[in-house]
Amino acid sequence: MKTFFKALGNLFKRPVTVKYPFEKTFIPEDYRGVIGFNESLCIWCHRCESACPPGAIVFSQDMEGKQRYYYNRAVCIFCEECIRSCPKEGALYNTHQPAQCAVKEDNINNGWNILFEEALQSRAAYAAEKKRLAAEKAASAKLQAEKAAQVSKE
Amino acid sequence: MGKQYEIPVGAQHISLLEPLHFKFTTENERIVDTAANVFYVHRGIEKACCTKFKFRQVSFVVGRVCGLCSISHTTAYSQVAEKLVKIEVPPRAKYLRMLVIELDRIHSHLLCLSHVAENSGFEALFMKTMQYREAFMELLEAVCGNRVQYDFAIVGGVARDLKPTVVLMIRERMDHFRHQLEELIDIFRNNWTLSLKNKSAGAISRDDALRLNVVGPFARAAGLAIDVRNETEDLLPWKEVGFTIVTGTSGDVYARNLVRLHEIEVSMRIIENVLDGLPESALVTETKAFPDGEAVVRIEAPRGELFYYAKGNKTQVLERLKIKAPTFSNISAMVEGFQGSEYGSAPAIIASYDPCLSCTAR
Amino acid sequence: MKKVETTVESLKRDIGNFYQPDKHHFIVMNAVDLGEKLEVQWFFSDYDPPYDITTFYTIIEPQEELPSIKEIISSAWVAEAELVDLIDIHIENTGKGFVLEEDSEMAPLRKKK
Repeated sequence: MKTFFKALGNLFKRPVTVKYPFEKTFIPEDYRGVIGFNESLCIWCHRCESACPPGAIVFSQDMEGKQRYYYNRAVCIFCEECIRSCPKEGALYNTHQPAQCAVKEDNINNGWNILFEEALQSRAAYAAEKKRLAAEKAASAKLQAEKAAQVSKE
Repeated sequence: MGKQYEIPVGAQHISLLEPLHFKFTTENERIVDTAANVFYVHRGIEKACCTKFKFRQVSFVVGRVCGLCSISHTTAYSQVAEKLVKIEVPPRAKYLRMLVIELDRIHSHLLCLSHVAENSGFEALFMKTMQYREAFMELLEAVCGNRVQYDFAIVGGVARDLKPTVVLMIRERMDHFRHQLEELIDIFRNNWTLSLKNKSAGAISRDDALRLNVVGPFARAAGLAIDVRNETEDLLPWKEVGFTIVTGTSGDVYARNLVRLHEIEVSMRIIENVLDGLPESALVTETKAFPDGEAVVRIEAPRGELFYYAKGNKTQVLERLKIKAPTFSNISAMVEGFQGSEYGSAPAIIASYDPCLSCTAR
Repeated sequence: MKKVETTVESLKRDIGNFYQPDKHHFIVMNAVDLGEKLEVQWFFSDYDPPYDITTFYTIIEPQEELPSIKEIISSAWVAEAELVDLIDIHIENTGKGFVLEEDSEMAPLRKKK
């Protein structure tokens, strides 16, 4: 019987439903949100890329050696492993904002897979080119040293 | 002997929260036989953890096995990985892990109780329990940063610290929840229409519970006093913060509801003791070692005993990871528990077993 | 954790002598791929202090058939059915099909050469 009177009393109370997303819900101030990047502090050590569990961070390198940082907010799980593994405080930080939805034009899934492969290949190509140049330089230095030794013998 | 009908309560059903399938053979509305099929959401997580992810990243993968007991999986994996790399966790990290495990237990038990009420036909109680649960979801969001996926325990310790404003928020909401819990215990114990549906439905005796190796509130309601928190003192200090075991006697749906409600009371006491006695120390132990050897860990998830076995081979990637979920142990008892019940109470009985199929069919 | 070695022939006798329903709790059965051979493990825990974990293990060839422990422990059929599908070991009176469908990749937990 008690429940019956309580149910009657509920007729005169306000509903408890929060009409999200038209009304705001509770979000704490240290909510785990999208990761931000401060390029001036980065030392390009790639520790965040190897620590990220789903692979949401990747670095690419062009043929002059300049590196670039890419981040995908749809693949990220907001675990903050990258922030913990970064040796420079402040290069990666949490913005505490929820991630925005992506639309079809962003091509955020398949486009990211292609970008990831291209970035890794660009780093491998730069490393191979550097190795080839270093080998050439070492070979020509050896040739010059042999010539100098021959001249001094004569 | 009357005519026998086979009725499936299938993978898609209006009252089921989880994707499982029972085929009942009924005679005059009484169930005489059951066949079960449970591997609908197999995702190959054990294989992925041993090929694609490094051992520090596996704690985030494993937290996504289940949405309700995510902290139990991450904590159990962190403990087994710490045994493989042979490090000790600082005391503050142990207390914070216990805090989040108990908050998670409260919200999971409230979900199960609301589902039992809904399946017994009492939809107003379902709404009321879910309203009380919302306060705890906001609390977990303030502590861990997210409502459902906590990512709180990492190999070596915990990921974030507890702020003083959050401590005040926890104490305030627990005070507010105390008389709401008394109201819920009163309704679940004394309401006459609820007892018609719940008493003597899905009953299992203590001897059957021993023979079938059941775990969790399912076993404790039948009179079997087993709880992993009673048995493992070395990894997390449960007895120090005031843990006591809760049992029932009759083993039916009514007893399971009361066991869960009293476990919520015990959890609230543990949370207060943890907040009063939180030690000061670091949060994480650093190490550069690789996992080697074999290790085994058990932990008490809201639904029962969770078991992890891991084997390392001195590289970044594990050799083998085996996860045993609590509902996995209960499947054969679930199948036998339907015997003799009416077909109309099958949804309420399934809800009271509190199955979590994502954990089972990882 | 206590490890006790057993063999395919003496498995039923060892577990039958050891397991008592009111003293021990059967947790789960597990198998590890060691490359050429397989190691199969059975985990038990105690209901009374000091709450030890006992592991029975044996190392078998991939084609050997293991005896089933369903007559001693009636709830073990779930663990055996799962391992038969996922690691492709042979257990008597246990058929495939509980976990994986017929058109899926077979024995996913085995290491591929």
